Order: sequence, then structure tokens, then C-alpha cells
Amino acid sequence: MSASSVERSQAVIEGLESIDPRHVLYLPSSTLKQVLAHFLPGGAGAGPERRVYPIPREEEGISILSGLALAGQRAVMIFQDNGVGNLLTSLLTFPRPYHLPIFGIVARRGGLGEYNSMIHTISERTEALLDAAGVRYFQLDSRTPVAEWAPTITKGHTFAHTTHQPVLVLVNLMGG
Amino acid sequence: MRRVLQRPEALALLDAAFSDQPVVLTLGGTIREMLAVAGRKPNHLYSLDAMGQTLAIGLGLALGLDGDRRHEKVVVVEGDGSLLMGFSGLATVGHLQPTKLVLVVLDNGVYLATGGQPTAAAGIDFAATARACGWAEARDVPSDFESLRESLGWARGAQGPILLRVKVGTEQPKTDYFLEDPVLLSRQFQDWLLRAEGTGASAV
Repeated sequence: MSASSVERSQAVIEGLESIDPRHVLYLPSSTLKQVLAHFLPGGAGAGPERRVYPIPREEEGISILSGLALAGQRAVMIFQDNGVGNLLTSLLTFPRPYHLPIFGIVARRGGLGEYNSMIHTISERTEALLDAAGVRYFQLDSRTPVAEWAPTITKGHTFAHTTHQPVLVLVNLMGG
Repeated sequence: MRRVLQRPEALALLDAAFSDQPVVLTLGGTIREMLAVAGRKPNHLYSLDAMGQTLAIGLGLALGLDGDRRHEKVVVVEGDGSLLMGFSGLATVGHLQPTKLVLVVLDNGVYLATGGQPTAAAGIDFAATARACGWAEARDVPSDFESLRESLGWARGAQGPILLRVKVGTEQPKTDYFLEDPVLLSRQFQDWLLRAEGTGASAV
């Protein structure tokens, strides 16, 4: 039996906490609600040593992450895959050519279990877009036991720093 | 008719006022002209093709250097066209209040690097927009040597985020392309950030 959305979300939280980001940037996402609640005021992951803030668009977040990376800060952006199209120019004109190890958690939409009639049109092309752009990513979905999710997120973050490049981890919290 | 500052003149003043602070430069002619007037500087971050991102890169840097006594300010040099492309950054800066951030908008009213097509800046009050977004200070600076020098000196000592907008002319001195490897630009700037002499008692 595959893990529930709650279990998967908790695994994402554990993976992110292992990185201990000083900056958590986020965009709106209903599927990421549990993860975001952990970091927002009142959540177990909120605290004075960590800044958690909303970003209006993905490309702006990529640029902020880049500045944070230049300053040597641990940071992560949390967003949905229907924003991947927004960030490609930003990603490929600054952090990628400048070899900056920025890191993002990307919630998957579309596929089995999707309830929105529109969102799959962009979301199901996420891997193709990232492949075409040469952006490195790792996938977490029903093929991966939930016990492996947090360690994979930890290793994905390390991989960004080891290889000096942006890395995204695509997480399917909807059951696919 | 009163003569306005040209962009290379404004860049020379910027370099002099913040010669020991991180400076993030927008793309195109701004980088080439800064190189022409100041030479290659380790404290300058050259964002070669990141149009619309300069403010947000500087925002991230200012947040990342918050509490680091080696760096008093993070200066972002933007054009009007690039700022308009990343306009939401004004709101994010207002929300996050990076106290070290100084944004200098060199407003020539056109996309000079691509042939001088007009931008939408003519009817936009950048300073009022920044103030409405909650910036600590935002001013229009008269386009003359003394006014800009004075304003930059003031900005160095004031708490940010600060926006300065100065109108500049569209004279375009001939400059060479700058074709450096971005990896090298990134590394050199990060190395400078780490080894820069502090003005405070200790470094974080």
C-alpha cells in the first residue's frame, strides 16, 4: 500500500529539516499545505534563526536563492511544478551558468488523482521541460518507499553543492 | 538646456562611493561602461544576461549578509527596463526589509543595448512605488554630479532598504564585449566576499 499524502509530506519535512535551511521561500500550493504549515508561524519548524517568506513568482525566488548562495546561506524554495515554466530563463541565465548550488522542492500535479481540469496541461510536461533545459532533478513518488524520501532530499541538497548546480527534487504528494 | 549625467559618469561615482562594498551590476552597457570607467573589480558582481533579476539577486545577497559585519551595504545598480522586468521585487523588498540594500536606478528611459526602444518608465514614479511598498527611503536624485555624489554618501550611512533614482542620458561610449566565463565571475566575487576587510569588530 502506498504512503498517504500526510506520510509523504512528513517525509519531505524531515528531509528539509535535515538540511536545516536558514531561508525558506515559498509559493502557494494546496498540495504542499502540510509542509508549508510546518515552517510558518505556529509550526514546529518556525523559529528566530529561520526566515520563511512568500515569493510572488518563481523566477524571483530563483534570483533570491542565487544571492543567498553567493553569501553562503542554506536556503530552499518550495513551489509547484506549474511554476517551472516561469523560472527557466532565470535559472539558465544566472545560477546555472554561474554554478550556484540552489535547491528547490517541487510538488507534482497532474496524473492519477489530479482533480484540476487545467493544471495537468503544464504539470505533466515538467520532466520534459527540465530535461530540455538540462536542469538536474530527482523524483520522489509511489515508486520510492516513503522511508527513502527524507534521505533522498538530503542527498539532493548535497548533490547541488557537490556539483555546483541548481537541483530540484520533484515530490508527488497526491498519490502518484 | 541643463546637461544630464551620462551613465558612465554615474557609474564612476558609484564605484568611488562603494569601492569596498558588494555591488551587483545589471546587464549590458552598464557592465561594459563600469569596466571602462573602473576596470575589473573583485567587489563587482557582473550579471551578464540576467535581465529583470538584478534586484532580486541583490536582495538575496543582502539577506544573506545580514549580520555580517564585513559588509555594510549591498548595492544594486539597475536600469529602468530591467527593474520593470522584475518589478515585483520592489514589493518583496518592502516585505523583507533588508537593511543593507541600496538600489540605484539609472533611468535612461530606453532599452539602450537593443537599439534605444522606449521603456514604460517615463510615467512611473519608482520612488513613490518603493515608498508605497514600505522601503525605508526612496528618492529622486537630480541628474548632476554633486547631487548624486551627495546622495550616494547619504545612502552609505542610512538604514535601508533605500532606492535612489537618477535620470541619465543615452550617450553610449564604444566599449568592448565582456565575454568572461560566468563561473569565474561567480568564484571571484564569492572569494572577495569571504576575504573582504571588515569595518566592524568581528565577522560572522
